[in-house]
Amino acid sequence: MDIYLPIAEVSVNAPLLVALGALVGFISGLFGIGGGFLMTPVLVFLGIPPAVAVASMSNHVAASSMSSVISYGRRRAVDFRMGGVLAAGGVIGAIAGVEIFRWLRLLGQADLVVALSYLVFLGIIGGLMLWESAGTIVRRRRNAPPKPRRDRRPPWLYGLPLKMRFPASRLYISPIPAILLGAFVGVLSAIMGVGGGFVLVPAMVYILRMPAGVVVGTSLFQIIITTALTGVLQAGRNQTVDVVLATLLLVGGVLGAQFGARASSRFRAEELRALLALIVLLVGLRMGLGLFFTPKEAFVLMSGAGG
Amino acid sequence: MSPAAAPDVHLAPPSAPAISAALTETTVRVNSDFRGDRIVLYGAVFDPRQRPSDVVVIVRGPDEPIRIARKTRVAGVWVNSRPVVFQGAPGFYIAASTRPLEDIARFGVLRRLEAGVDHLAFNAPAEQRTETRYGVRDVVVSRLGPDYLDWKTAVVRLKADEGLYAVNERGVRFVDKGLFRAEIALPAEAPIGRYEARILLFQNGQPVSEKDRTLTVEQVGVERALYLWAHQRPWSYGLAAMAFALGAGWAASAAFRRD
Repeated sequence: MDIYLPIAEVSVNAPLLVALGALVGFISGLFGIGGGFLMTPVLVFLGIPPAVAVASMSNHVAASSMSSVISYGRRRAVDFRMGGVLAAGGVIGAIAGVEIFRWLRLLGQADLVVALSYLVFLGIIGGLMLWESAGTIVRRRRNAPPKPRRDRRPPWLYGLPLKMRFPASRLYISPIPAILLGAFVGVLSAIMGVGGGFVLVPAMVYILRMPAGVVVGTSLFQIIITTALTGVLQAGRNQTVDVVLATLLLVGGVLGAQFGARASSRFRAEELRALLALIVLLVGLRMGLGLFFTPKEAFVLMSGAGG
Repeated sequence: MSPAAAPDVHLAPPSAPAISAALTETTVRVNSDFRGDRIVLYGAVFDPRQRPSDVVVIVRGPDEPIRIARKTRVAGVWVNSRPVVFQGAPGFYIAASTRPLEDIARFGVLRRLEAGVDHLAFNAPAEQRTETRYGVRDVVVSRLGPDYLDWKTAVVRLKADEGLYAVNERGVRFVDKGLFRAEIALPAEAPIGRYEARILLFQNGQPVSEKDRTLTVEQVGVERALYLWAHQRPWSYGLAAMAFALGAGWAASAAFRRD
């Protein structure tokens, strides 16, 4: 059951893509991440031009995030105010990111930056999350008392001006760090073809110190806005969004995300984090370590003449 | 009828050898279940003197610029060099023949006809400059230096790996006296556009007759509509695609709420 993709101009196996979309959608709903960091490398491996894969992912990620954010919203697990502030930063970041990506492609360094970004960001975040969640699990197994929480209000963060109230997160904090975080994630979204949840979720827990219950839903809400913008920008500026590809992925993706969002309440938060950390770490190493091995083919063709 | 009138100038075929050919289909329609196609070409060689003949069929897709980079090691990490842009290379190329091309004609002849992937005439104009060397003016020098050939062969090798450049040494077969048949495999990755099929008759190492045929590879139906929409009105396409994606996400969530 092969199907021809009109923009990518290649033919792919349709059931395989639907299944892939469902699997990534499930993971997306479970962990509150877009799942782009898993999907983009797989699509490239299947022979889809990287530029089309990165751009079409935005549509897929937006759809599956939309599907699960509604479930989280019903459970009042979304801080829309914080999500809006993050998204404001995300919009700036996404516009800058699409331009940076064009410039990198013209220089021929897009591959390098993408691989390095995967190695550095996924490696660091996966490693930190694994360390933290494994520690929590071990302490619980030994029935040791939970580690006393450090000062919930780091002065450098809470001393910033323009403080706003975020009732859903029970925070009274300046929006500046949230805007910066959103902008950073927006840049990553355009360059790596990801939603950025794997950066956003831990940053919201460890830096902004939001309650764990609203982190996932809020992250998905911000991802929808950022990826919706990235998807439209990629289509408008680079003509690289393949709607047939995105549709195949999202058919599986939206269904998978529903099951994922339901399944998430059956697991302990630290176990979910440990599992996500392992996945993140493995993908980062797989993408990045290739840079250190002598390539079999010394030359590489770059798709898209104009960049 | 007197025996002297035997070589009748009006009825006998011309003494010069000639080739004729036709494609069994002139349009390849790319729709949702397109997985590549096989194009069959039939032709005939007319030669009253029955000299040994070879047929070469060259199918060329629309030219497109090619960007290629070389991986170099910098501080232990393999990075891409500055990309080089080659112009004048076809997006698809296949040379099918009755025998290996180098047995049919000499290097210079093949080069002039661009017959065979090693003889494709494409270059990197941005890397070239002309200078005076040893008193000779307008010598074309490439900035890529002595590696220039490595770059060109890499382009051909990578395109061949994608199935877009090929040489088929037995791709043309004589099925009957003077009647030949060639089959050209078109992969699903073949670019959209106008293809030129060139059918050459070789005798004694020289091309003696030639026919050109065109082939159109075009998207049809929904695929064409989407392709045109995405390229001609990219912003409305992007907005519609995103609206559709968000709507699908919302619909799935709404559908799941009932049970």
